[in-house]
Amino acid sequence: MTVQRRALFDRLTSVHRPDCALFADGPLPMPVAGPDDLAPLLGSDQAARYADACRPVFEDLRRVVGQLAGLMILAQLTDSSEVAGLGELASCRRRFDEAGERIRQLVAPDALEPHREQLVAAHAFSGLALGTFSELRPRGDNEAAFDTISRHVRRAYAHLSAATAEKAGLAMVDLSHACCSCGR
Amino acid sequence: MSDYSIWVCEYSYVKNYHKSGVLYGAHNQGFVKLPYCYVVIKGRDHVAMVDVGYNDKDYGKVLGDRFGVENWRSPATVLAEIGVKPEEVDTCFITHAHFDHFGNVEDFPNAKFYIQEREIAKWVWAMSLPDRLRWMMVAVDPGDIVRGADLARQKRLVTVNGALSDVLPGIDLHAADDSHTWGSMWVTVRNDGQAQSQDTWVLAGDLVYVFENIHGPGAAVDEKEVYTPVGLAVGSQANLVLATEAMMKQVGYDSHRVIPVHEERLRDTFPSRITREGLRITEICLADGETSKVSA
Repeated sequence: MTVQRRALFDRLTSVHRPDCALFADGPLPMPVAGPDDLAPLLGSDQAARYADACRPVFEDLRRVVGQLAGLMILAQLTDSSEVAGLGELASCRRRFDEAGERIRQLVAPDALEPHREQLVAAHAFSGLALGTFSELRPRGDNEAAFDTISRHVRRAYAHLSAATAEKAGLAMVDLSHACCSCGR
Repeated sequence: MSDYSIWVCEYSYVKNYHKSGVLYGAHNQGFVKLPYCYVVIKGRDHVAMVDVGYNDKDYGKVLGDRFGVENWRSPATVLAEIGVKPEEVDTCFITHAHFDHFGNVEDFPNAKFYIQEREIAKWVWAMSLPDRLRWMMVAVDPGDIVRGADLARQKRLVTVNGALSDVLPGIDLHAADDSHTWGSMWVTVRNDGQAQSQDTWVLAGDLVYVFENIHGPGAAVDEKEVYTPVGLAVGSQANLVLATEAMMKQVGYDSHRVIPVHEERLRDTFPSRITREGLRITEICLADGETSKVSA
């Protein structure tokens, strides 16, 4: 382990709880340069092409993560495993599959590969959460499954947050109809 | 006898917000200052909040750059003006899931949060719709729902299905389905603790933005005044008007007891002061034995 990695490990173990999502496998969800940051380096055309291809992926994942979190809340607080059979979960799965297909076709310039990796990781952890919904049992003790879903969703969101790039249209909140949107 | 003190605490603002956003049909009528506020309800045994604001770490730059939102201050700074620490807040009522109301749960580590089940369920539904229907899911951050899931795991999130009485003694929740959002709610404080209260306050969330939502221009229908709903709604303006009527009925049609938290002119109705940070604290009422936080 290099000194740098050792320092990172020490920091993680001292700052984060043992069940922190950062301890799961995969790249760390750390902010990376996005297409808007790298446009001057890559040239605006190349950065714009990547941003264009990214937008539907980001939107898919934004929705998948939000739906998974919302469905988990409903499943837990209504004490219901029926969420696993809801149409919303089926549509979430479809969107997850579409995102996967788009990610497979997503080609990133070398400098933006870390950005693409964050999207890949967000997709992967969303998949882990999605798969765990099928483990919910009627009238059973689902606490462990909820913990697992929650952990994976949190991690997926962290990766997606790391890949936000406001100017490239990769934003977590659509503010066009919000209490701050004053037509600027 | 009053059980609770109530303060409206400004934590940020946008100077030029288009008036048609706060008042339906007010097109080309210019701009108004829109304060961002939350409400503190402090009683002998509880400190509660109505909404918790947004987290500047996540949104501050984009809100500042794109929309001119200014002067965000943390709950620790804002609440210190009324002698409250965020850690002392034990209950938070979330009127709806927009980012500027539900976006800062992490600053209230000891609070239990209440939100309408429908607000979560319909938002999940909206997220499942095709892209051409994307309008129906604006202004909600998936991250807030993720944090809501964390709260649920910590047993600190309660979803409410419709009205709920005495969540805290004398404090009730009321649903306004398909109005400003899918599952908005307002908070009613019966400050004398009586079922048929003579001292009721309604904390309206975004169901009422400004005074004109209650005292709107009525000339077009030969009335002096009519309820005029807020401009922003994913549900219907009709439901906003019906919610306004229900809120007004609760306060015996005494409109100054319906508190719109985005209303800059609360200062004209209630005692208030500007803090060192340039934000307003408005004192709606004081519990027995409580001292004013706005008078010298």
